[in-house]
Amino acid sequence: MMSDQQIIDGCANHERKAQQILYDKYSHFLLGVCMRYATDKPEAEDILQDSFLKIFSNIKDFSGTGSFIGWLRKVAVNTAITHYHKNLKYRYHVDIEDYVSVEAGVTSFEEDYFTSDELYQVLNELPTGYRMVFNLYAVEGYKHKEIAEILGVDTNTSKSQYSRAKAVIREKLEKLGKLRSSY
Amino acid sequence: MSIRELFRHKLGNAEIAPDPLLGSKLMRKQARKEFIRFNPVRFNAYYLGGILVATISAGIILSPQSKKQDHPSSLNQSISVSNVVSSESKQISAVQPESQEQNSTNQNTSESTQKKPALEIKGPSVSNSPQRTTEEVKKNIVYTSITDSISKSSFQGGQSAEMNKLKGGFKSVDASFEISATKGCAPLHLNFYNKSGSLDSCRWVFGDEGYSIEKNPDWIFDVEGEYKVVLTVFGPDGSQATSSAVITVFPKPLARFEIAPEKPVLPKDEIRFFNYSTNAVHFNWDFGDGNSSDLFEPRHRFDKFGNYNVRLKVSSDLGCTDSMIVMNAFFGSEYFIDFPNAFFASNQGPTGGFYSAKSDESSQVFHPVFSGITEYQLRIFSKLGIVVFETSDVNVGWDGYFKGQLCDPGVYIWKVRGSFRSGEPFIKMGNVTLLRN
Repeated sequence: MMSDQQIIDGCANHERKAQQILYDKYSHFLLGVCMRYATDKPEAEDILQDSFLKIFSNIKDFSGTGSFIGWLRKVAVNTAITHYHKNLKYRYHVDIEDYVSVEAGVTSFEEDYFTSDELYQVLNELPTGYRMVFNLYAVEGYKHKEIAEILGVDTNTSKSQYSRAKAVIREKLEKLGKLRSSY
Repeated sequence: MSIRELFRHKLGNAEIAPDPLLGSKLMRKQARKEFIRFNPVRFNAYYLGGILVATISAGIILSPQSKKQDHPSSLNQSISVSNVVSSESKQISAVQPESQEQNSTNQNTSESTQKKPALEIKGPSVSNSPQRTTEEVKKNIVYTSITDSISKSSFQGGQSAEMNKLKGGFKSVDASFEISATKGCAPLHLNFYNKSGSLDSCRWVFGDEGYSIEKNPDWIFDVEGEYKVVLTVFGPDGSQATSSAVITVFPKPLARFEIAPEKPVLPKDEIRFFNYSTNAVHFNWDFGDGNSSDLFEPRHRFDKFGNYNVRLKVSSDLGCTDSMIVMNAFFGSEYFIDFPNAFFASNQGPTGGFYSAKSDESSQVFHPVFSGITEYQLRIFSKLGIVVFETSDVNVGWDGYFKGQLCDPGVYIWKVRGSFRSGEPFIKMGNVTLLRN
């Protein structure tokens, strides 16, 4: 088994074997990241492929300081953002029902109440703009100001999209919860 | 646990297995990328390209040698020999000797190639050698002349053979072109057709500081004057030839006129037309009501209001024209109402507002000029908003008095509403300045 440093050096020298090992080792994790930004698995796999091409050609820029896995995640997230910008024309396709204001309901959820598959599904069903903002803010931990710059929108848009995304997610989760309790 | 925490914990480091085929697809893609990237260690696109270039260039080097050996005489057969004298002025058609291959093959024949002068002095369309007649087309005018250094040398007897030999057998070019016209009115839009034989590139200099490198350019001369257009043709081997023509651009006249009075009352007023045209000698007026005139400044009476388009067409002594149209010149209506913007209130005491030709003359009463009024209400306000005058009789105006007192001089606001005989209502507002003698 090669260490991360050996893999990085190998990839920097364009060794096919090192690239293959890197892919085998991290593709599961990175697809987990890409899946959060996509509407379905094929789209996520597209993003994953582009991410790996980027990783292979830029791996020599990885400074070695900081965590390698964090760098990989960042490349994947950036690729997803690029992908989002390419498909900008769909950005405003938000169903009117997604705009409904949501009454305050359950605010707390048990972690083990939902499987990660269910959570992915909830994310995938979100409108693209909501999904971007929610992922970047809630999971990746970007600030609203940074998100606004990344997506080329107003800070307030980022904030309002986040709160609307949260509302939609809450509604979907509650629905899931109700379905379950009826068993 | 909040939604944010839920997703972060659950999905922050979640893993999903990708499609098993994806890995090999990715590796193939990466291999293609790798192939395009330059890498001295590996066989890639650069080596492949290098091999291709080497193969092709080897093929090129080898092939002409074999051709030469196969057809030694074929090159000579294609040469047409003709010669031309370029005389002092421009209007002579000329073709140059193309003697190079003879030189390279046989020095003796090269001397005999000179002086087969085929020459004609030109009419508007001149051609000399039979194969050119088809080229030198119908209505267009052809100018050709040659100032190429090689062609000049060829007129100097036996020297030219040596010259040609020294220059290694240049294939000279000749320059000739056609123009859609040589004179006309500004702005003159011309098409130029390059009728030169084989040429590599050419340059047109239009004499107005403009130039073009197109083969058949078109050009607009905006300003009157004479322009010398020079075409320089560059042959494939660096030789060049020029040809020129003179373009005459006539000045364009300018049609300008004004209609007076600006707001006429028809059919009462006679309309005058003030002519401000320049550079023109002939004038043609079309009043738009079916009448016309050739006078410099005509007068005309229109029977009634209407959307007449008044047009002035002028032409200069050289036949250039310009025109000006005033669309919908008399769109007004025969029913109208208009107010003045100032009047002199009399200090002789109130007059009751009845106005006559006399009071009208000294502007002592504020009243409208009008036609075809059926309903009428006029109110005049002071600056404080007090109604100082009100009437529903169009024949009564304001004498400047309010409750028997002469009002202060200054600005007053008037508002009028009513309707014309046609039934069309009107509302107008404005201000009037009260003056005192």
